[in-house]
Amino acid sequence: MECALDAQSLISISLRKIHSSRTQRGGIKLHKNLLVSYVLRNARQLYLSERYAELYRRQQQQQQQQPPHHQHQHQHLAYAAPGMPASAADFGPLQLGGGGDAEAREPAARHQLHQLHQLHQLHLQQQLHQHQHPAPRGCAAAAAAGAPAGGAGALSELPGCAALQPPHGAPHRGQPLEPLQPGPAPLPLPLPPPAALCPRDPRAPTACSAPSAPPGAAPPAAAASPPASPAPASSPGFYRGAYPAPSDFGLHCSSQTTVLDLDTHVVTTVENGYLHQDCCASAHCPCCGQGAPGPGLSSAAGCKRKYYPGQEEEEDDEEDAGELGAEPPGGAPFAPCKRARFEDFCPDSSPDASNISNLISIFGSGFSGLVSRQPDSSEQPPPLNGQLCAKQALASLGAWTRAIVAF
Amino acid sequence: MARRAGGGNDIQWCFSQVKGAVDDDVAEADIISTVEFNHSGELLATGDKGGRVVIFQQEQENKIQSHSRGEYNVYSTFQSHEPEFDYLKSLEIEEKINKIRWLPQKNAAQFLLSTNDKTIKLWKISERDKRPEGYNLKEEDGRYRDPTTVTTLRVPVFRPMDLMVEASPRRIFANAHTYHINSISINSDYETYLSADDLRINLWHLEITDRSFNIVDIKPANMEELTEVITAAEFHPNSCNTFVYSSSKGTIRLCDMRASALCDRHSKLFEEPEDPSNRSFFSEIISSISDVKFSHSGRYMMTRDYLSVKIWDLNMENRPVETYQVHEYLRSKLCSLYENDCIFDKFECCWNGSDSVVMTGSYNNFFRMFDRNTKRDITLEASRENNKPRTVLKPRKVCASGKRKKDEISVDSLDFNKKILHTAWHPKENIIAVATTNNLYIFQDKVN
Repeated sequence: MECALDAQSLISISLRKIHSSRTQRGGIKLHKNLLVSYVLRNARQLYLSERYAELYRRQQQQQQQQPPHHQHQHQHLAYAAPGMPASAADFGPLQLGGGGDAEAREPAARHQLHQLHQLHQLHLQQQLHQHQHPAPRGCAAAAAAGAPAGGAGALSELPGCAALQPPHGAPHRGQPLEPLQPGPAPLPLPLPPPAALCPRDPRAPTACSAPSAPPGAAPPAAAASPPASPAPASSPGFYRGAYPAPSDFGLHCSSQTTVLDLDTHVVTTVENGYLHQDCCASAHCPCCGQGAPGPGLSSAAGCKRKYYPGQEEEEDDEEDAGELGAEPPGGAPFAPCKRARFEDFCPDSSPDASNISNLISIFGSGFSGLVSRQPDSSEQPPPLNGQLCAKQALASLGAWTRAIVAF
Repeated sequence: MARRAGGGNDIQWCFSQVKGAVDDDVAEADIISTVEFNHSGELLATGDKGGRVVIFQQEQENKIQSHSRGEYNVYSTFQSHEPEFDYLKSLEIEEKINKIRWLPQKNAAQFLLSTNDKTIKLWKISERDKRPEGYNLKEEDGRYRDPTTVTTLRVPVFRPMDLMVEASPRRIFANAHTYHINSISINSDYETYLSADDLRINLWHLEITDRSFNIVDIKPANMEELTEVITAAEFHPNSCNTFVYSSSKGTIRLCDMRASALCDRHSKLFEEPEDPSNRSFFSEIISSISDVKFSHSGRYMMTRDYLSVKIWDLNMENRPVETYQVHEYLRSKLCSLYENDCIFDKFECCWNGSDSVVMTGSYNNFFRMFDRNTKRDITLEASRENNKPRTVLKPRKVCASGKRKKDEISVDSLDFNKKILHTAWHPKENIIAVATTNNLYIFQDKVN
């Protein structure tokens, strides 16, 4: 299919459509937004695959050129600051060739690579997991450094919780990572360096940081056919399979909105549009205090209470009224997003839960939340600048992988 | 009087009439949103974005000079739905008429169901051509006379008057749908009907407005898990227990209401596996089904997705028996169609009376007919250029690529703002109603 747009523009356009649908007459059209979210997902998968491949190639070149110790230092630098604001990563169009100012670009590039890599791990976990018994979740999967799907068997042999160790050099390298060989699908890329694991960082609550309980949409689960690995874009199967990871790359909740779901009569307190469970997955999450419970259950969602409306008429049985009602008009940054219904949440259902993430969070974390986290840009950031938001959306990869319904 | 309902190519289609404003500046309220013939074909109803319903009635044919069939003239116009505001959600509810469905006629009056996004109404359209006259209760100016001055009893007499067509709402079925209603369908028992929104289907009794039964609910417990929505639903024309609903994923489910109260589990699932070589960013969008229609016989059903029309045999679930490409040349343009939102257009489709020809709309005011027997197809245009009565429509052709022949139109010069989404075929004759943005065209086959 001849397409004049690249993945990034498609993402911008899609986000713009979703955003403008909020102000359209007649309310949000569920069907159209669902379809747009599919396009977003497809474009994003392509973008990530391409990006990952490109950055990885550049890093490989870099590694070959530099002496080893130097290389590890660089990586250390990059990994030590995973919580860097996304905009610091220069997400321009794919830069082919590593020429020019390689030194200056490399830390940023490596940071991107790292983020991409993390997300990619989680993608792969999901694909692999379908053919495996539930291995130790986040840890083993995340430790599968760039595992192609074919290495399914080898995964479970990896040392667990490699990711829980701090990202400071030696322990990573010491780990006996399996040189996972591609099975059915031959991988174009060799194994990424062993240090490219999911680092333990208090503000990067990826799945591996929550060994106790999976988040509401835990990464290891579903899908798919093997060939959704970091194949280049030309691979026909790459659209499928990799479902977005639900992890959030570490930005914190800071404000609250209360949402009334008239369908279930549940009042939910939402923290800044980020699913609280992501943040609270880490025991270090300050807003939860000490001993935060495992994500997904009980107070992770804020306080919940049953609400009994005065009239038991059919017209009360309306969906998401509270959410939209609570939303400040004009799309202010802290518009609420709908939370998962925790009373329905079942940890065993997470394999299905990952089979989702179709509706994009345009409130809070996904969209206007991004807008509110503008970097040190001098001019007034235009809120509907799809281009800008798309870059940030891509940069803060985990933020909008969550399927938050706006309806 | 029934003409041979032959193939789309055997008959020659002629312009008959066009209804609606001439100017190019289209008022949004005038955009036609649904078109439907009644069961006899004598009445033709249209709904528009402004919430109005306009009913046309066919003139009785002049049997002596039957060089053409009767014309359709305005019979009744009424405001069916008004814009509403949902204060709880701070949402405006559009008054646009999404669907109109006629009830079969049981007495002198006609009944139809019309629906917007949230509310369904049953309208009674009745004629009044007599009025009682001769009351002695009022003065000349209309004031009531003092009863003590009335000394005689005068029985009024019905006298003929100019025909007046009245539309009155007899039932209002409200508050049953959280999401936007996309379909209504009357059961063959003529007592019940279904209404479908994005996630649920409800069953109503025509007499009862304060209660409806939910028969399909595909809302997931966790809305994050939503992967598909209901796009259309219809009752089987003969089996009052059977209905189908289509989804945004390109599947059709046939359900039997006898199996259980909640028909979440389908009896049959119709799905064609996707062709992996056609995979693109927009695969999900173009596979979403926009319309589903049973054939009159009830043996087949037809579905419309963005690029094609598929005919399914109810006895075969794994693939359609026939597939017709409506405008395959658009496949390479999906990116631009996505940008300008045209990829979300919901085209409808319809059968002719004998189920031998199917019709659907396209862009540039083109519409297409596919003859199932001869396997031939034809593309025609609804345009004011051909608006002399009995002008035979010239077949059109779109040139996909390469050298454009004379009279062909290249894909890039198609006007994507001129789209034909709604078409209807007379149940017995070769008369079709085709709605462009704000005009209604009526075409007939050539009568010699």
